[in-house]
Amino acid sequence: MNSYEWILYAGIAVWSGLGLYLALLAHKQAGLSRRIKQLARLMEDER
Amino acid sequence: MLKAALLIASKDLRLTMGRGSGLLQALLLGLLLIFVFSLSLTPGQRMSAQGAAAIFWMASAFCQVLIFSTLYGLEEINGQRQGLVLAPSPAQGVWLGKALAGLCLLVASQTLFLPATIVFLGQEISDLWRLGLAIVIIGDIGIVAIGSLLGALSQGQSARESLLSIVLFPLLAPLFLGGIRIGSAVFSGKLSEGADGWFGIALAFDAIFVASALALFPSVYNAEE
Amino acid sequence: MAGLYPLAPFLALAGGFLLAACQWLILVYAPTEATLGLPQKIFYLHLPLAWWGLFSFFLVFIASGAYLASRKRFWDVLAGAAAEIGLALAALALISGAIWAKTSWGLWWTWDARLTTTLVMCFIYAGYLVVRGMDMQPDRRARIAAVLGIVAFLDVPLVFFSARLWSYIHPPSISLEPEMKHTLVACIASFALLWLGLLLFRWRLAQDAINLEETTKERLMRRE
Repeated sequence: MNSYEWILYAGIAVWSGLGLYLALLAHKQAGLSRRIKQLARLMEDER
Repeated sequence: MLKAALLIASKDLRLTMGRGSGLLQALLLGLLLIFVFSLSLTPGQRMSAQGAAAIFWMASAFCQVLIFSTLYGLEEINGQRQGLVLAPSPAQGVWLGKALAGLCLLVASQTLFLPATIVFLGQEISDLWRLGLAIVIIGDIGIVAIGSLLGALSQGQSARESLLSIVLFPLLAPLFLGGIRIGSAVFSGKLSEGADGWFGIALAFDAIFVASALALFPSVYNAEE
Repeated sequence: MAGLYPLAPFLALAGGFLLAACQWLILVYAPTEATLGLPQKIFYLHLPLAWWGLFSFFLVFIASGAYLASRKRFWDVLAGAAAEIGLALAALALISGAIWAKTSWGLWWTWDARLTTTLVMCFIYAGYLVVRGMDMQPDRRARIAAVLGIVAFLDVPLVFFSARLWSYIHPPSISLEPEMKHTLVACIASFALLWLGLLLFRWRLAQDAINLEETTKERLMRRE
């Protein structure tokens, strides 16, 4: 295998790793925001 | 503080010796580990000196986790921990007491692990045994200093042992590396370069973690559930 | 801090774009290293990952000390966010380092002091995050995490020196030409933006989780 391919693989590994981590954060954040909104609505109804 | 520490240590030692199960469990686990590793050898073959030293320290590490989880487990029932926290002595006394008790139990276990290593893994003790004794003592001080500090963090937790081992083992890496290198020199009789470096690292480890344990212990040990 | 949250996507995006631009610097501008050849170019991504990872762990140490001194939740949240980001970056540094090692030495792993230290740090901070995830009283958990955050960072130099003593295998030290230095500085600087963006994202997540928990508690109290 030549060196360019290895550089490519290293780049893919790093970028996809960062991308995956960001996607995970975004997913968690979306879930949290939804629950916070639900809770706010619930508390509004109870008032 | 020293008096309180000695009192706690002697109380803990009497309790663990009296019940027996805690120490026995730790001993059995260590001996089993050494025995199981002897299965990786074909009959008549000898384990390399470095391999044997690594297994000896691994047995000690597992033993340490069980020892401290037992020692801190003693006060878990009936809220007895409140009693210790309220005792008129600084919290560091508890740390020192548990560390001393742990040191006694660990050394006692190692006096059994060493012959087991020699017998099951086909090792011999060379003229360098003084170095080995020194690294075991220095290493054990570091192990119990950090074990007693972090043992308290598992109070009131289920799955205490597994939690403690994942936190403790990587932290102990410098001591293990030193212990394995010097241990392998003791078993093989050949001292490689850098032996004083290992003692320097082990002593620095002891100093850093004894000091930080004294400073930080009150933050982890208290009456909360 | 809350005022800074909207900046997070911009910082992350800007960092991402700049890093992408740095790829050009890496592949075209920087000359090929004489002895190590092309694979050495992995270094320009590997080093910023490792440095910012280490810096995150240092931040955990600082924030843990500040938490124990002030008992303000702010510091605890910061330490948690920094630890997770540090772990992610250090893991990526390990992966890119392994790929580099495979190309230059034909091995995925060697006993290099820096690689070993990074690996042990990954283990330590993974344990730290496990402790943070435990079900405990928040105050007690924060205090325990702070103690662990301090102890973990004190261990780093010991791990490094012991790993170096264990084996003297080192990659040959590289003398950097000016173009290489420029590229490296550019990569590290653009990574700073990305890092800050990630930190803010992670921080907001932790803060929202705390808010949710507290509002839920409040609501339950009111209903009783």
